Amino acid sequence: MTNEEKNLLDTLHAYHAGTLPGEDRLVLEESMRSDANFRNEANAYLSMLRTLQRTAEREKVKGVLEKTHAELPAHSFKKSFRLPGANKNVKLWPAMAVAASVILMSIVGTFVMTQSVKDKQNAEFRELRRRVEQITKSQKAMMEDIAVVKEKEEIASSIYAGTGFLVSANGFLITSSHVVRGADSVFVENKKFGMLKAEVVKSDATNDIALLRIIQPFASTSLPFTIRKTESDLGEQVFTLGFPREEIVYGEGTISASTGYKQNSSSYQIAVPVNPGNSGGPLLNQQGEVIGMISGVETETIAAAFAVKSPVILEAINSVPADSLRKPLLMSTSNKLRSLSRVQQIKKIQDYIFVVKVYNH
Amino acid sequence: MDYVDELIVGQLRNKNERALSELYKNHYPMVLKLVVENSGTEDDAKDIYQEAVIAFYQRVQQADFVLTCKIATYLYAVSWRLWLKKLSGKKRFTLKVHETEQFLQVEEEITNIEDENKRIAIMKTSLEGLGQPCSSIIRDFYMNALTMEEICAKFGYTNADNAKNQKYKCLQRLKKLFFDAYKIVS
Repeated sequence: MTNEEKNLLDTLHAYHAGTLPGEDRLVLEESMRSDANFRNEANAYLSMLRTLQRTAEREKVKGVLEKTHAELPAHSFKKSFRLPGANKNVKLWPAMAVAASVILMSIVGTFVMTQSVKDKQNAEFRELRRRVEQITKSQKAMMEDIAVVKEKEEIASSIYAGTGFLVSANGFLITSSHVVRGADSVFVENKKFGMLKAEVVKSDATNDIALLRIIQPFASTSLPFTIRKTESDLGEQVFTLGFPREEIVYGEGTISASTGYKQNSSSYQIAVPVNPGNSGGPLLNQQGEVIGMISGVETETIAAAFAVKSPVILEAINSVPADSLRKPLLMSTSNKLRSLSRVQQIKKIQDYIFVVKVYNH
Repeated sequence: MDYVDELIVGQLRNKNERALSELYKNHYPMVLKLVVENSGTEDDAKDIYQEAVIAFYQRVQQADFVLTCKIATYLYAVSWRLWLKKLSGKKRFTLKVHETEQFLQVEEEITNIEDENKRIAIMKTSLEGLGQPCSSIIRDFYMNALTMEEICAKFGYTNADNAKNQKYKCLQRLKKLFFDAYKIVS
């Protein structure tokens, strides 16, 4: 590096700093004007010196500003400058907390709501199913009713129907008291005797026994069966005949318990298939003795029907005052079925078993 | 023209640091609001605002500078333009202030600021590339305005001429580094 160059740098530095004496400055400016190469060189240096100065200045100013910024009281612009979100630390947190809780609540709420909706749907469904079950039940019942009513319509237009059987040749028969409950008029009917008008002589709701008397004249014949005076034993083979439908229906089974519904000692529990309409039907043993009368079924249990015991029936019959009977109740004393086969027994018995039709006007 | 603004400009020309500090404090909330309301953070606001203040400060130093509007208006307009540029760079636009809102013909100002910042950045890089002791000598002599004697004492040069020669060599090297980098960048 020559001394000339060194001098130039010093001159340019002085020129840049504004300390170059007037004469030298004019000389320099003249040289730059006249000599393009020199001008470029000089301008490059001057530009660099200016940039150095600016850099220094900037660093210094930046330092001042940083210091000032640090001195800014945090609360001063918060006060003079109330803006949501202006100061994240202070302003945003409450808003964010609110927003977060809203989001959380909506999530939880949605969850709870969907859950409850789900539950409701399930409940609805169960209810619906229950209803359907109920409908099925009621439809079933209705169909049964319709079936019963149809039967009656074919025979007659009775409303309630049950079974009854003769206990004396002169027109007394018994049935379940619930069959004739609230009856305005009662008719009994079977194939042999046709339809006969009857009246309720006595109704014993406690033991579910009703004594009827046929008030129309009819050809009386002696009964082939007797009513057993003593209780039968557990496990005894029994059978019944009744009118759950238009035809007389046979059913057989055993005595499965010596007490009836709710430990009722006046009834047996029997394992015999019975249906609505069987009520009031006779329960007979192998020898053809009437040992009871069908009264009802327990809905909860399968194949659990109940029959009023024959001694109770006899007691009920005997308790009826002779005055109200109008004529003596002559009960059969000889069993003509003892040695017969079941088929023969049934043939003999069925003529004395009636459909009991009750009209409630 | 605003009397207070004129006073401040006068003080800034005298490089009064207290005046600079007051100016900074006075208008920071305005720019903070501007930036924060337009997808910026507090740090963004600080960076933008300091750029604007430095630009204003350097404009004031120029001999031909004439204050043609309020200082606040200048700072707001420059900050806004700077922030728009930064936003477009970041590709996150949620602007509250309308784009068409024009306050000043600030584009030239912004260009100057950007050129200036670019040159300064290159200079800093060049100074770093210069290595020691050149970097320190240049800084002390040209930026911190130390005398050669002070520099000699600082670096332990026994002869002031040696120090001077070192300074010239350093400046030459810096010139090369600076203009090479500058050409590459521009």
